Amino acid sequence: MRSGRKARAAGFDRRLPHVGNSLRSARSPDLSEFFNPVLLYGGCALGALGIALALPRRGVSPQVLGAIVAAIGLGAMFLGLGVATPDGARPRVMFYIFAVIALGASLRVISHPRPVYAALYFILTILASSGLYLLLSAEFMAFALIIVYAGAILITYLFVIMLATETPVESELEALAEYDRYSREPVAATVAGFILIAALSTLLARGVGELPPPRAGSPDVARIADLPGKVERILRDSETITGSQRIVRDAEGKPAIDLSEGTALVAAPGGEPHAVRLPGDLVLTNTEGVGFSLLVDHPGSIEIAGVILLMAMLGAVVLARKKVELDERARARQLAAHRAAAEGVSL
Amino acid sequence: MTDLALAIAQADFPLPMPGATLYHYLLVSALMFAIGVIGFVSRRNLIIMFLCTELMFQAAGIALIAFSRFHLNHTGEAFVIFVLTVAAAEAALALALVVLLFRRKETLDASSWAELKG
Repeated sequence: MRSGRKARAAGFDRRLPHVGNSLRSARSPDLSEFFNPVLLYGGCALGALGIALALPRRGVSPQVLGAIVAAIGLGAMFLGLGVATPDGARPRVMFYIFAVIALGASLRVISHPRPVYAALYFILTILASSGLYLLLSAEFMAFALIIVYAGAILITYLFVIMLATETPVESELEALAEYDRYSREPVAATVAGFILIAALSTLLARGVGELPPPRAGSPDVARIADLPGKVERILRDSETITGSQRIVRDAEGKPAIDLSEGTALVAAPGGEPHAVRLPGDLVLTNTEGVGFSLLVDHPGSIEIAGVILLMAMLGAVVLARKKVELDERARARQLAAHRAAAEGVSL
Repeated sequence: MTDLALAIAQADFPLPMPGATLYHYLLVSALMFAIGVIGFVSRRNLIIMFLCTELMFQAAGIALIAFSRFHLNHTGEAFVIFVLTVAAAEAALALALVVLLFRRKETLDASSWAELKG
């Protein structure tokens, strides 16, 4: 099983260079090996029609019908992929569940006339895509995404929606501003978007590859040697070392862990060092891997990210503190509203 | 790589997704990006337009994580952290701008600022 998987992974690695080649050979004869073009492009067209219908528009706005048509179209696109993947394998059902929720919710983000609901549907998109992250075994990023996006950024959006809305009136649709009820050029926008999709999926079609098992051959595993605390804890849990024994460090402070031999030197304080065998199931967890990648490989980027955030915060404070005059038209509107209200009271 | 190092590398990890290809994740990402583009072009509410840019950030994040998994390293995941940083900075600035614009015209209609195009 394991070897079969590896062989397939190697096969896909060989195929990777063709991703670039497909730019030249869009009509290559083996394109249909990987997906069903009729279903894929038909799904594209159907999805475009559905989204164009689902966007809010003047006159009759068949939003539900549009959503159904879009769902059928997107489903056809995935079917187009599923029908002929190289070895007939299909993704597990969880992938489809998360993908459908993410795409359906993002469709609702752009089609819902009320900004508050759009923001809430965006949170649903975030939750579903963190599910996709989990399927990709990126646990740390999945939870960071929920905390940062759903927890922080979207709450900022909700606050701004609260701050910047006109006073609502009784009935449902009437309370919506004109710019929320009608979208601008829904058909042209959708056609452009789906030409983008068709082009992208054509170019991607040659890069089909099953995901190899995590960590296999990953150079990151060697970094366990830089985590003496973790290794010590594991050794202590399995009672390989006891009491005050620690992993020996050399003059530069590098711990004496030899992964290629599978041994580590341990010693009690003042005692004679001796080698112990490491357990065979040492792994670098996702969080540790991301941490190494961030802090060892990209330390400069973190500093820059900090500066970006600081500047954004300063900018936001400066912008929001500025005193603004209403422009003439808005002032006239406000005045008229006040006058109307006063007349209503006097009547 | 010795056998032990390989065993360490492969031990005790969730099974690979049977049949889920990189392409599937890239298609989800592309679709989400296109939905974001469509929304950004066609909606007129400034707040929803910025929500659509967040949607596009999100699509880029899915593609990055999928590539990170495909190439079996963590660089893509670290990059998503920077995408999150930029998204947060963008949200803070954009929303401050939205509040500013709203206070001036009392409307969130993007086309009410059409005179800026000169």
